[in-house]
Amino acid sequence: MAAADFELGLNSFGEVATDGDRVLSDAETVRLLVDEARLAESVGLDVFSVGEHYRAGHNDSATPVLLAAAATATTRIRLGTSVTVLSTNDPVRLYHEFSTLDAVSNGRAQLVLGRASATESFPLFGYDLADYERLFEEKLDLFLRLQHDETVTWSGTVRSPLTEQRLHPRMQPGGIPTWIGVGGSPNSVIRAARHGLPLMLAIIGGRPQRFAGHVDLYTRALEQFGHTPQPIGQHSLGLVADTDEEAVETWWRYWQPVAAALAAERGFYKPDRARYEAEIDHGALFVGSPETVAQKIATVARDLRLNRFDLKYDIMHLPREARARTIELLGSAVAPRVRELLAKEPTHV
Amino acid sequence: MSDLMFGLDTFGDVPQDDAGKLVSHAAAIRQVVDEAVLADQLGVDVIALGEHHRPEYSVSTPETVLAGIATRTSRIRLASGVTVLSSDDPVRVFQRFATVDALSNGRAEVILGRGSFTESFPLFGYDLRDYDKLFEEKIDLFVKLLDERPVTWSGTLRAPLEQADVFPKTESGHLSTWVGVGGSPQSVVRTAQYGLPLMLAIIGGAPERFAPYIDLYRRAADQLGTTAHPVGMHSPGFIADTDEEAKEVYWPHYRIMRDRIGKLRGWPPIRRQEFDSEVEHGSLYIGSPETVARRMARAIRSLGVGRFDLIYSAGAQPASARMRAVELYGSKVIPMVRELLA
Repeated sequence: MAAADFELGLNSFGEVATDGDRVLSDAETVRLLVDEARLAESVGLDVFSVGEHYRAGHNDSATPVLLAAAATATTRIRLGTSVTVLSTNDPVRLYHEFSTLDAVSNGRAQLVLGRASATESFPLFGYDLADYERLFEEKLDLFLRLQHDETVTWSGTVRSPLTEQRLHPRMQPGGIPTWIGVGGSPNSVIRAARHGLPLMLAIIGGRPQRFAGHVDLYTRALEQFGHTPQPIGQHSLGLVADTDEEAVETWWRYWQPVAAALAAERGFYKPDRARYEAEIDHGALFVGSPETVAQKIATVARDLRLNRFDLKYDIMHLPREARARTIELLGSAVAPRVRELLAKEPTHV
Repeated sequence: MSDLMFGLDTFGDVPQDDAGKLVSHAAAIRQVVDEAVLADQLGVDVIALGEHHRPEYSVSTPETVLAGIATRTSRIRLASGVTVLSSDDPVRVFQRFATVDALSNGRAEVILGRGSFTESFPLFGYDLRDYDKLFEEKIDLFVKLLDERPVTWSGTLRAPLEQADVFPKTESGHLSTWVGVGGSPQSVVRTAQYGLPLMLAIIGGAPERFAPYIDLYRRAADQLGTTAHPVGMHSPGFIADTDEEAKEVYWPHYRIMRDRIGKLRGWPPIRRQEFDSEVEHGSLYIGSPETVARRMARAIRSLGVGRFDLIYSAGAQPASARMRAVELYGSKVIPMVRELLA
């Protein structure tokens, strides 16, 4: 991979922002996302993606709708997801939505499909968590068929069958870039390889380098399945500010309560200050000045043979100025510096 | 009559380009976005996009296109026309439209309907035998979601909800919601029962024959103790600089579309004479701005409706002619109708 082709993107989970002491409404946060997509494009970032969540404080329940609004506010930046919970979506509806997004954006739609780490969507849309694996497997099969074939006849166990259906609007031949998001399951890595799809690693805690085994597995599996090499991306959380100190203090203030709540909910470790700083030094938090964050991204990019890095820049109640500053610095300072660092030392290809 | 609302309605028909070639679905969608932007600049009150699952229409997810329109417009209301609720999920519909509402500073509007086409049933795995029940149950859930508080609900055609809280919340606390009705008195009464505004699809025959439905809506609301809102009507039409031009641009494409649908529904092929008679005194609002304005004013006055939405495409009318129709509707027809009714 040429260093110049290394892609930098942004991820948002639609988290409510603040303005001074005021917490923005859901609707204001939705509009802020469009402004942020515009800003991301103006500083030269490659991709703007939103997640899919169904809980208070998150405003990304209708991903394609958000992205379509961003589409007409921008002209170059690609628009995607991080991740789309395929298991509880209908592949047919999803096809309609993303082919429409692709039309509205003049061919800039892409998406990352995953099984989701949060499970709210299962009861909300009437799915059984016991079908977690089968739902994803079958729906992925159907979604890829819909992209690949103009007329589809399909049957499975998790959705009603289709008989010679043609969907409209049609995507361009070959469909849109479709990645598989994985959290740490080797089965998911092999599935991505089996389908010959690019791999997005969600690395939200611990040393990113421990995913090197997954990267090897993916590369070997792609080869064994007879596919050409595919891009690998990483999604991690972080914040860029003018100085390390400012970044570290700002992120701690907003990340600590979120991490504490998540620790209680999912049994993660409790966020104490020492662990926090260790996460920044050699873990999965990309928090710091542009130079610090660029060095860190370049290091994981080499170690994990990445082609793309997406920074999840929003966290509950983070002030809009801090969000905007992260976007500006990521595009104007971090991205060129990462490419410079990667050009200095030869990468895997 | 300044509170009268005027809208434009399309299903995103795939138009021809100036060389007479059909454009791609993607280009058809971008055409709709551009038409909505022009309509906004000209002060048209509403753009409504109907959900369809047929090759000649490009809009299968109205809200995704509406979101694209939201960013490029500032005043026009963004509606579906209709959202086929029966084969969709009320929770998802709420989430999508609440997001459009946020993106547009409160301009979103859902028009719920059962759909006049049935393609969405096999596509999404629904049984046509449940046609009535699907809509009945789903509108019941949708109306509960409109309160924007945690919902507990159970029915037979969708998974139950237990204190489910749905996001994003709207700023106004009220997502504007109408019900689109084609001609079923039962649907009219149900709309009144929920206290929702009624949109009548009047796509053929003399508009006056729909007066009893409006009367029924008002009487039902009165008896049920709900609010009767101003009623809207939506009808097809086309505007060009002269009557002759409007008819000649519209007819060949309309005929193909009408006969294609007719085949599915057992209608005989349409004859030119029928078309001319619909244009003269039926439900095709086709002609010069003066002609269309006069016919619209008559229908609005005789039915006492508060809103008129013109379905401005029916078949592959050329993109440039469609854009001209939108321009004439906004710049000439609407002011003329207002003046005629003043």
